[in-house]
Amino acid sequence: MKARVLVDASDIDRFAPHTHPLWWGILGAVAIEAAVVATLLTSYFYLAAQNPAWPPEGVAPPDLFWPTVVLVLLPLSSFTMWWAGKGSDRGDQRQLSIGVTASVTLAVLALVARSFQIAEFDASWNDHAYGSILWVITGFHYTHVVSAVSGTAVVAVLAWRGYFTPERQLGVVVDTVYWYFVAGVFLPIYLVLYIAPRLL
Amino acid sequence: MTAVGIETSGHDPALEPSSYGHEAAVGREAFERIERTWRSPAGFVGWFTQVNHSAIGLRFIVTAFVFFILSGLLGLAMRLQLAMPLNEMLSPEAYNQIMTVHGTAMMFLFAIPAMEGVAIYVAPLMVGARDMAFPRLNAFGYYVYLIGGSAFFLSLALGMAPDAGWFNYVPLANKTFSEGYGVDIWTTMITFIELSALTAAVELIVTIMKLRAPGMSLDRMPIFVWAVLVMSFMILFAMPSVMVASAFLMMDRLVDTQFFIVENGGSPLLWQHLFWFFGHPEVYIILVPALGIVTSIVVTFSGRPLFGYTALVLAITGIGMVSFGLWVHHMYTTGLPFMGRSFFMAASSMIAIPSGVQVYCWIATLWGGKVRFATPMLWVLAFFGVFIAGGLTGVMVASVPFDRQVHDSYFVVAHFHYVLMGGAVFPLMGAIYYWFPKATGRMLSERLGIGSCLTVFVGFNITFFPMHILGLQGMPRRVYTYVDGLGWGNMNLLATFGAFLLALGFALTLFNVVRSLRHGAVAPDNPWGGSTLEWATASPPLNCNFIQQPVVESRRPMWDWREAGSRTVVAGLSEDRRETMVTTLLDARPQSVMVLPGPTPWPFVSAVAASFGFIGLIFSPWFFPIGFFAVFATMVFWFWPRHPWRKK
Ligand code: HEM
Ligand SMILES: [Cu+2]
Repeated sequence: MKARVLVDASDIDRFAPHTHPLWWGILGAVAIEAAVVATLLTSYFYLAAQNPAWPPEGVAPPDLFWPTVVLVLLPLSSFTMWWAGKGSDRGDQRQLSIGVTASVTLAVLALVARSFQIAEFDASWNDHAYGSILWVITGFHYTHVVSAVSGTAVVAVLAWRGYFTPERQLGVVVDTVYWYFVAGVFLPIYLVLYIAPRLL
Repeated sequence: MTAVGIETSGHDPALEPSSYGHEAAVGREAFERIERTWRSPAGFVGWFTQVNHSAIGLRFIVTAFVFFILSGLLGLAMRLQLAMPLNEMLSPEAYNQIMTVHGTAMMFLFAIPAMEGVAIYVAPLMVGARDMAFPRLNAFGYYVYLIGGSAFFLSLALGMAPDAGWFNYVPLANKTFSEGYGVDIWTTMITFIELSALTAAVELIVTIMKLRAPGMSLDRMPIFVWAVLVMSFMILFAMPSVMVASAFLMMDRLVDTQFFIVENGGSPLLWQHLFWFFGHPEVYIILVPALGIVTSIVVTFSGRPLFGYTALVLAITGIGMVSFGLWVHHMYTTGLPFMGRSFFMAASSMIAIPSGVQVYCWIATLWGGKVRFATPMLWVLAFFGVFIAGGLTGVMVASVPFDRQVHDSYFVVAHFHYVLMGGAVFPLMGAIYYWFPKATGRMLSERLGIGSCLTVFVGFNITFFPMHILGLQGMPRRVYTYVDGLGWGNMNLLATFGAFLLALGFALTLFNVVRSLRHGAVAPDNPWGGSTLEWATASPPLNCNFIQQPVVESRRPMWDWREAGSRTVVAGLSEDRRETMVTTLLDARPQSVMVLPGPTPWPFVSAVAASFGFIGLIFSPWFFPIGFFAVFATMVFWFWPRHPWRKK
């Protein structure tokens, strides 16, 4: 059977990081994670509604200081991440390297702040459902920051070694999307875990 | 819908360009180079490095059917035990384990993965892609499924299987009432296997949205592909809920969190909400792709374009969305507020509307055509019969007063086997008969196929119809035996007899498959005269799927080409790299070219590391950080870019 050529792919771009399917894939991963967070937060409210007092009698809601520090650090780290991406788009490897390194540093600081805050929790995970859900949501987010930091640390090392030529920016673009999510999702968590118990 | 000038009558394979001249199209040398580029390594070690979607899809299907056979045998064991009153073949403990493993495995290890497998195998071919968007992730998902599923079954062989039913209700599943590792195996392995469903879902969504052949705008996409897309989105939003639920339970049992412990502020109903928020859509996750399979078969065997394309797309999407609002109908007997129950009752009845639309579309498509009653079509007819019966009892149990009567009785067992066997197994069998020639290059025997279909249909009804009556007579589900003198003996004996007939029917298809692999007639490229692109490649498909990627100008490329006497294709893709077209989301205009990775062992290593972590979690929480970092390390190697290709 004869073939009529309708599309010639010879000159079509092979290195389009912003429309690359992987970008969509990360969006899918983010959608899943967002669904998990939504489920966790809904469970929090469900358990709250089942209990006469929330937090239970004699338990203080978590202190606001450290979470607020985290709330500042994470968006800041997203900003440096965005700035790094701008550099990478222009082919500026130095800006990229500095940017991702700054992000990793800021996020590590956020992890430290978060650890202080966890040490201060008034409730343990094993004496009341309140403590359980508090710890689990916190642990979930903590784990995600750790994985975003680990992944981005690898990107940072590669960036300093000049790996990300314009054809290889994809890794940066994808890592950035995930980073935004991990940073952004802290806002609803903050509102629910730290503000809501003061209003309920 | 405009009718096109296509002969509606019987399909004649002799008129079909039995070979599209795959080799002649590009010349022998180029053909061999391309095929070498896309070849999967052979041999034992090679097996662990394969990433092509056709290989992975086939593995999913075969593995799912192995689990189907195993779970089916467990079903037979239960039926034997229940054949007469006070039977002592199985102890209560063994019965509970067998029942739980049967239910869990049928749902999580058979039905969903089988649908995913068919989707992974067929959907990329149907959209004219050379492979899926993330071939390595695909392989990873498969190993996760294989290891998780095997571990789950192994627990039964070791006598430490879960025994709290497939929905694993707390407080029964709490540590206080279920000691031992059974429930832990359930929670860890189910969470783990869901991971593979999620990877498959993301993979399918991106492939369908971005890798469609140029010209295949959304409104030209085959209905099966639409169905797969809807299924994948449903997985994306439903699975997290059951993962969270099982993670809670895992932690309650492992590190004494109090999510489900009433004395300390926990709530058993939280489990039920989370489980059914997933569990109800799950039924539709299984059903929706099955509807896609049915539509493909109906179109091909009626030989005419689908009636009501848009209506069908809307119906399938509608079913997907409405199914997220129905979960509470599994909880009518938990003392929910009256208003709440009424709302969910109304919503549950609403699902009848899109389902009705579909049935009319199929009937209208079949009406004017000269229908060919080959085996795939027979399974579809059986599907109609069984599924409609299941739908009728479904409307009955969706009503609150009726459900409160038959809840937890054999009426419910009858109902969901009609829906699940009707909605999943019959279409899957149709799919096997329909796509077997494409996947293997051999035809299945029609005679054995007809025999199998009839036996399964009759055997199925003899097994499960009497259960309606048993349920109305008051026989509760999940009992390992019953006393004499209740008048249940005869019906139970009949059901057991039917189960063996049913098994015989499936055995016939198994025999057919094994025999035809060697002795079946050689299949042409398009044996049934189908209209979609999977029939454009060789049987079995080329390594690269399409030696030249197709360009699509209507909903029925194969029929267009047959009329025009020529194909429309893409040129200019590399022969030495795995390249496939990326197109825009809505109208599939060419956008860029994606370079896909080749064979690699890292997905396998990664899956082993993840399994190590998850299986360890059954015993100690320390395996969480260990598994986490082990997987991270393997991922670094996985993503380490090895192909510093240059811009050409
Ligand atoms: C192959 C033939 C099959 C036979 C003979 C069979 C038989 C049975 C029997 C006897 C029970 C136990 C009822 C009880 O004790 O309450 C059962 C339960 C169940 N079956 Fe099947 N079944 C078959 C196929 C399937 C399929 C294809 C699916 C799903 C895709 C399925 C899903 C279930 C589920 C979810 C349960 C409930 C388990 C529980 O109560 O936790 N079965 N089946
Ligand atoms: Cu339901």
